Amino acid sequence: MWMLLSIAFRNLVQARRRTGLLSLAIGLVTLLLVMLLALTDGINDNLIRSATVVSAGHVNVAGFYKATTTEGAPIVTNYAEIRKIVEENTPGLDFVTDRARGWSKLVSETASVQAALSGIDATQETRLLRELRLAKESDYKEGGRDEVIGDVNRISEPETAILFAAQAERLGIGVGDKFTVRTETSSGRTSTVDLTVIAVAQDLGMLSSWSIFVPKETLLALYQLDSDTTGAIWVYLKDIDEAPAVMNHLREVFVQKGYTLMEYQPQPFFFKFEVVTGEDWVGQKLDLTTWKDEVSFLTWVLTAFNFLTVMLVSILVVIIAIGIMNVMWASVRERTREIGTMRAIGMTRSRVLVMFMLEALMLGFFASSAGAALGAGVALAVDAANFVIPYSAVRAILLAETLNLVIHPEPLLFSVGLLTTFTAGSALWPAIHAALLRPVAAISTTE
Amino acid sequence: MTTPIISLENVTKNYALGSTVVTAVSGVSFVIREGEFTAIAGPSGSGKTALRNLIGCIDTASEGVVSVRGHNTAALSDRRLTRLRLDTIGFIFQNFNLINVLTVVQNVEFPLLLAGGLSSSERQERVNTLLAKVGLAQFAKHRPNELSGGQRQRVAIARALVTRPKLVLADEPTANLDSATGTQIIDLMHELNRNEKTTFLFSTHDHRIMDRAERLIQVADGRIASDEQVQR
Ligand SMILES: Nc1ncnc2c1ncn2[C@@H]1O[C@H](COP(=O)(O)OP(=O)(O)O)[C@@H](O)[C@H]1O
Ligand SMILES: [Mg+2]
Repeated sequence: MWMLLSIAFRNLVQARRRTGLLSLAIGLVTLLLVMLLALTDGINDNLIRSATVVSAGHVNVAGFYKATTTEGAPIVTNYAEIRKIVEENTPGLDFVTDRARGWSKLVSETASVQAALSGIDATQETRLLRELRLAKESDYKEGGRDEVIGDVNRISEPETAILFAAQAERLGIGVGDKFTVRTETSSGRTSTVDLTVIAVAQDLGMLSSWSIFVPKETLLALYQLDSDTTGAIWVYLKDIDEAPAVMNHLREVFVQKGYTLMEYQPQPFFFKFEVVTGEDWVGQKLDLTTWKDEVSFLTWVLTAFNFLTVMLVSILVVIIAIGIMNVMWASVRERTREIGTMRAIGMTRSRVLVMFMLEALMLGFFASSAGAALGAGVALAVDAANFVIPYSAVRAILLAETLNLVIHPEPLLFSVGLLTTFTAGSALWPAIHAALLRPVAAISTTE
Repeated sequence: MTTPIISLENVTKNYALGSTVVTAVSGVSFVIREGEFTAIAGPSGSGKTALRNLIGCIDTASEGVVSVRGHNTAALSDRRLTRLRLDTIGFIFQNFNLINVLTVVQNVEFPLLLAGGLSSSERQERVNTLLAKVGLAQFAKHRPNELSGGQRQRVAIARALVTRPKLVLADEPTANLDSATGTQIIDLMHELNRNEKTTFLFSTHDHRIMDRAERLIQVADGRIASDEQVQR
């Protein structure tokens, strides 16, 4: 009813000071909520980006090969055939790539570090090579040039490597320098190879700190594996949200084709060694996971952040809810005679209730919308400013070098909806009280 | 004789005040018929407002029967009573009781919106006609707080009449007005009573005002002291 809406609106305008203060409180909480959600979405984006560049495809077809019951290697044999099955049976497929994997020691003249090796095939890794942002030489080398040097495409040449900045810094090497990779093959022999750094990428948070890229043939040669072998086949989908469904579908396909599958464990492959070596089977088993499973050890960051957001916003919402309730009580008390008059004239209880609720809904909606709009604006500005995060621990947790905030429409709507609901909820009790006032008592308050 | 709109049969209203009981209305019986212009007169505390509340369906009797258009008000739900007030009774208050955030036109239109059933143009037509009758056409867009007491009470009269109620209840409508303005307000009500056949029941303790009534019910201590047609 327009009249009720109009009365509610005018009463808000009438009580300017009160409305202003409450709007400010509601708006600020919404702004904070929007910014926190933007940061959460930013971290989520960083997580997806770094995970799907360094650690996993959207869906991974990996597995373990056991030559004896006590030894397990994270490799997939029959690579070509399995890849063909994936390519033919994945709905919504974008592209397929594969990574050979290893774990070894990197040794330079001055230092040594442990790292996971990703053996990549340059011809099918156009996306990776496009997405990797190279670091300026000065980022990892003291007295280095303030410019990017090196060329990622040279990874197609044998015995080359792409490092991340933190590793280059620790090893004290840069583009053009050589270092040694030392590892143990499954037969227990030490195997080494000298690699040339052809590019140094910007760090991608903690995932990148222990990863380097080398040509796939170099890695297979290092481990003395034959060329029909790989570490994992990475499946990229057009829609990353389809990953769990596609994974389940591919599991069924492989079972039908007679492959043996490991039981589904939503964990990264390197958590599974112990279980696999403890089991008494030999031969090849496939293991299918989603990108999320491979970085599940990182999702605590998001969980913690969500928890923080929920805690903070709950406390603030409770505080403003108390404020709103008080203000509504005052408003009902002030307008008791008016309510009595309206009731006497013929307004029903339910309309009195609606009138007060409309007032609260309008207050909540306008104040939170303004707060959300402002919050989105600030978030976009902060994101565009590309603030460099000053602490390396924070960079590792946020999985990025710069502050990344992402504004999606859903969190905005959610924030406005939540604050509006809370405002209306806080007003419910006073509004019911107003509706239940006996007209005779209400009129005679000041008459 | 025309049909009764209101009938009170042996009506008593008690208020519990702590442990004591205050009897505001005591064994009152009378009937209000269509077209009357009746004053209830009595000193302060004699029970005029209590009677207005009973007749106006915003309070119920402790004893006896109050009938509004044949309905015993004690037997109706809050919803039915609300509708009965909306359809049957117009209220004029001592303190005007306008809705401050609404303009004059909107205040007068308000009961029509509650009642529903009329188009926007029909409502405007009716509101404007009434505002012209009470002499406030040029104040249509004003807020109540921009008007004098007399003008506010005219708005209240227009609001009370807009649904064309069977009965208009005015509880001391002139108590907050100077005597010249008060007399004008009563004259306006009387004019509307004669021209529009609206039934008025108003209360007062002012002799100049009660002299204008066609029927005068005198109350004292909650009882009817006299009830007579005024001869002119
Ligand atoms: N809500 C109430 N509670 C207790 N006593 C009341 C209440 N309303 C009215 N009374 C008492 O009833 C009597 C009549 O009051 P009222 O009808 O207001 O008189 P009037 O309108 O003629 O001045 C007075 O004695 C008053 O004190
Ligand atoms: Mg009174």
